[in-house]
Amino acid sequence: MNRSYFIILSIIVILYVVNIVRKKKFSIKESFWWVFASVVMLLLSIFPYSIDWFAKKIGVDYPPSLLFVLCIIFLLFINFRNSRRIAELQMKVVELGQELAIVKEKVNRDEK
Amino acid sequence: MKKNDKKVLFVIPAYNEEENIKKVLDEIKKDASFADILVINDCSRDNTKKIVLENDVKCIDNIFNMRYAWAVQTGIKYAYQNNYDYVVQIDADGQHIAKEAVKLVECAEKENADIVIGSRYLKDMGYPCPLFRRVGTKMFEWTIKCFCHERIADPLSGFQCLNRRIIEKYSKMGEYPEFPDANLIIDMLMNGYKIVEVPVKMRLRENGESMHGGIIKPIKYMINMFYTIFFIVIQNIGWRRRKNHE
Repeated sequence: MNRSYFIILSIIVILYVVNIVRKKKFSIKESFWWVFASVVMLLLSIFPYSIDWFAKKIGVDYPPSLLFVLCIIFLLFINFRNSRRIAELQMKVVELGQELAIVKEKVNRDEK
Repeated sequence: MKKNDKKVLFVIPAYNEEENIKKVLDEIKKDASFADILVINDCSRDNTKKIVLENDVKCIDNIFNMRYAWAVQTGIKYAYQNNYDYVVQIDADGQHIAKEAVKLVECAEKENADIVIGSRYLKDMGYPCPLFRRVGTKMFEWTIKCFCHERIADPLSGFQCLNRRIIEKYSKMGEYPEFPDANLIIDMLMNGYKIVEVPVKMRLRENGESMHGGIIKPIKYMINMFYTIFFIVIQNIGWRRRKNHE
């Protein structure tokens, strides 16, 4: 019975992400990993014992811990990716600001 | 200084410096009349901009507060785009003396140096200095000596003269460091640029607050600096170094 809640939850997540991409409030490129994660969530809630099977395959004694490990790895990955993006963007913003300041000065000078 | 064929730009990054900036500008106009002056107004909230414009000096307004390093880089980019031969970085708080800046430019020309640093500690110029800062400076001096085998006595000095080669390098540099001190010096030395130091006098600051005040900030600064130096050394080992020597 428990299963259906999670199926519904993951379907809601998928629909939510797809919907904001459809409305162009989120980029297609950035949405990929979130859709990926929610599809994995859906599959896991439909076949909850797949995690036991997988844990046995790679030799994890306590299957739920595998789930946590995978979640943490995924979150770290997303987080690191975000940090990288922020650093990139900051560099670009500074460069834009500098160029704009220089151009502004030039425009002001030419007007006089 | 008589040679007027070289274009020299004084870059003054200023953030809330209404008390000091007028004196600095007057001094430069008097003692270094051959040079152009450019004030980078880093989004000051006081009358800095008004005072600068009243004194008929060029002024660039940053559209957001970039803090010291990137404000300086704005000035360097301006110098690059307007074909200046030398840039003198000088502080707006009146610590740096315009007469001494002329020495830096002369030295840059004579010795064909890429960076000339105005140094407080090269000879004893009677600059009083708190112990903590002294120790920090010594540590950076050793670090530079260790990696580059050159003695830079005052790597924290923001009083520098840059030539055309380094202006180009800095303005095309993707990630200009947040604190351009020992790390930038090591980077440039490893890239084969020539750095010379000249002993200069400096004043103590009169009004306003220092960038490196407090207790937490210097500690953060030291950690940040050594961390940055570590990566700069790693980046410069190997192909980049070889490429430069070919």
